[in-house]
Amino acid sequence: MNPLKKWRELRTWAPLRLAFLALFLAFLVSFPFWGSRYWVDVGFYVGLYALLGLGLNVILGEVGLFNLGHAAFWAIGAYATAILNARFGLPTLALLPVSALVAAGCAWIISSPIIHLRGDYLCIVTIALGEIVRLVLINNPGGLTGGPNGVVGIDRPVFLGHVIRTPMDFYFLVWALVALCAFGLRQLQRSRIGRAWNYIREDEIAAEAMGVDVRALKLLAFVLGAALAGIAGNIFAAKMRMVSPDSFTFLESCLMFCIVLLGGMGSIPGTILGAALVVLFPEILRPVAQYRLLFFGLALAATMYFRPGGLWPRRRAVEFLREAKS
Amino acid sequence: MRFVVLGLVLLALSAGAQPILIGFQGPLTGPWAVEGDWALKSVQIAVELVNARGGILGRPIQLVVEDDNGTPKGGTLAAQKLIAAGVKFVVGTYGSMVCMPSSELYEEEGVLHINYGCTRVDLSARGFKYYFRTSGRDDSQARFFVEYVIPLFGAKRIAVMHDNTAYALGVAEDVLRFMKPLLDEGKVELVYYDAIMPGERDYTPALTALRDANPDIWYYTGYYPEWALLLRQGKDLGLDWKKIKAVGSNACPISETVKIAGLDAVVGAMITQEPLPAFLVEKYPLAKEFVTAYEAKYGPIHDSPWATYAADAIFTLYFAIEATQSFDPAVVADYLRSGVVVGEGITGPLSFSPEGDRLGVPYMLLICNEAGETELFDPAVHGRLVGM
Repeated sequence: MNPLKKWRELRTWAPLRLAFLALFLAFLVSFPFWGSRYWVDVGFYVGLYALLGLGLNVILGEVGLFNLGHAAFWAIGAYATAILNARFGLPTLALLPVSALVAAGCAWIISSPIIHLRGDYLCIVTIALGEIVRLVLINNPGGLTGGPNGVVGIDRPVFLGHVIRTPMDFYFLVWALVALCAFGLRQLQRSRIGRAWNYIREDEIAAEAMGVDVRALKLLAFVLGAALAGIAGNIFAAKMRMVSPDSFTFLESCLMFCIVLLGGMGSIPGTILGAALVVLFPEILRPVAQYRLLFFGLALAATMYFRPGGLWPRRRAVEFLREAKS
Repeated sequence: MRFVVLGLVLLALSAGAQPILIGFQGPLTGPWAVEGDWALKSVQIAVELVNARGGILGRPIQLVVEDDNGTPKGGTLAAQKLIAAGVKFVVGTYGSMVCMPSSELYEEEGVLHINYGCTRVDLSARGFKYYFRTSGRDDSQARFFVEYVIPLFGAKRIAVMHDNTAYALGVAEDVLRFMKPLLDEGKVELVYYDAIMPGERDYTPALTALRDANPDIWYYTGYYPEWALLLRQGKDLGLDWKKIKAVGSNACPISETVKIAGLDAVVGAMITQEPLPAFLVEKYPLAKEFVTAYEAKYGPIHDSPWATYAADAIFTLYFAIEATQSFDPAVVADYLRSGVVVGEGITGPLSFSPEGDRLGVPYMLLICNEAGETELFDPAVHGRLVGM
C-alpha cells in the first residue's frame, strides 16, 4: 500500500483523534448553556483570537514570514465595517465578506513591495506598518475614521431575522466561523499550496529552484491571513458597537504572534489552544490585579522554555511516513 | 460586664448588616495604569470614610475591583465579571472608548453606572437610564470660560486663539457655540479668532494681529509650549496682561509655562483647569477630610482630577441611597436624574442632568502669582495682577 495513503488514513480516521474532536465540539457547543455570561464572553474572545491566530498562522506558521503587524489588518477590517455601517447604513453581517475583502485588498497593496524582505527585515517593516495604520486612523483621514474617538453607533448584526446581541449569540457566531476557517485551512494545508508554503518556510531558495512561485505564494498567504483578520475585525466591531485606534495596538500584534508560537507554528489545533491560553491567562490571573500582566509574561516565558516547539506542534508527514515504512 | 454585652450586641449588629457590593472598574494595568491606581486608592479612601460613618443605610460598603486594562475589550470583560459578581452599583472607568461598550452592558443589566473619567460629549446622548458621570464633558471647559470667566472680568471684546490640533480646535469651537447667544445679542464681540501653527519659534505676526484687535480677554486653547512662547513674545511686544486678560486652557500648566517663558512674562496669566484636590481642600470640608485620609495612608495626594471624581462617585451613591432609603438601582437612578443636589462631595455639590451629566461641573480659574506659584483666582487677592 502507498505509504502516503496509509498515513492519510491513519491520521484521518484514528478513533482517538475523532473521539477527542467530538468531545471538544460537544464542550464548545454545550458550554454557553451551563457557563456563566462572563465565561461565555471569555469564550467569545478565545474564538476571536483563534480567528486572528489562524490568520497569522497562515503567514507566520505556514510560510514563516515574520509579521508583527497583524493588528493592522484586524483594524482595517473593523474600520471597514464600522464606517460602512455607521456612515452608510449597510447591514453589519453583510459586511463580513466586505471586511475580509477590504483587509485582503489592503494586505495585497501593502505587502506587494515588501514581500521580498526576509526574516527580521520583514519583521521591522510589519511593525512599522502596524503603527502607521494606527496613526493614520488617529489622524482621521477625510473625517472618516473619527480620529482618537473612533467610530461609534455600529448596528447589531442580524442573522435571518435574529438579532445577535447576547454573549451566547456572539459566541456561536465566532466559533462557527472558527470551525469553518479551521476546516478550510486544514484542507489547504494538505493541498499543493500548503505543501509549497511549507517548502518556502524550510528552504526558500530550494523552493524557487524547484519551480515554486515564491512571490505569488507569499502574497497569497498575506492576503488570506489578512482576510481572516478582517473577518475578526467585523465581529469585533459588531460586538463592541464602536471601534477606536486604542484597540489595535502593537501589543495586540505581539499577542497574536504569541498565539502562533505558543500553539506551534503551522498547527491549527495548536493555534486555537494558544488563543485560549492568551485570553484565559489574564482572566485567571485577575486576583493578582495590577500584577496580572507580569504573571502573564512569566507564564508565556515558562511555556516557551518547557515547550520550545509550541504546546501542540504540527506533526509532520515525514515522521508518519517513517513509521509506516518501519 | 455591661461593656462586654454591649460589645457583643454591636458585634452581632455589624455581623447582621450585610455588606453592600459596589464595583470598581478601572485601568489598573495598561497605558493608563497610573490613573487607575490613583482612582482605586481614592475610591478606597472614600469607601473607608463612608464605612466610618456607619456605611450606607447601616450596611458597610464592600468594594469589588476589576481591571479593564484600559481597552474596550478589557472593559466588557470587567463589566461582565462585575455583573456576574452580583454588583448593582459600579464606579468606572477612565477613557471614553473603554466606557462605551461596558456601559451598554450595565444598562442592559440595570446596573447603576457612575463614570468618573470619560468626557466624550455623546456618552450621555444615548438615552440610557443607568448612566451618570461625576466628571465634566469635553465642552465643560469652554462653557466655564463663557459663563464664568467672561462675566467675571466684564469682558466685551473677546479673542480666541487655537493651534488647529483636534483638542484645541474642539475647545475653541465650543467657546463659539456657547458664546453664540451673547454674540447675537451684541453683549460681546469676537474681535479675534484664528489659529497659530504649533512648533514655530516666532509668533510675533499673530501677536501683532492680536494687539491690533485690542481684546479685553484672550483665550488660548492649545498647549503650553506655544502658550509660553506667546506670553514671552507678547510681553516683549509690549502687551500688558493687565489690559488683555490672558487665559490658557488646561493644557497650559503654569509651572511648565514659567520654566519656558520666564516669570515676568507669566505673572497674571490665568488658566482654566479641572479641580485639583490641592485647591479643593480650601473650599469643601469633605475634600479636606478626604485629602487628610488619603495622605495619611498613601502619602502626598495625586494631582489627577479624575481620581477625585471617582471618589465622588462613591459619595454620590452614599448620598442618593441614604436619601431614597433604597438599594434599588432604578429608584436611585430616578432620584439622581431629578436634578436635585444629592449632597456636597469632594468636588462640590453633586447633581445630575436628566441625561446623566454632572451639573455645574466645577472648573477653576487658576492664576500665576508674583512668586510663580499656581493659585486659585480670587478677585480680592489677585485683582491687582490683572488690573481689576
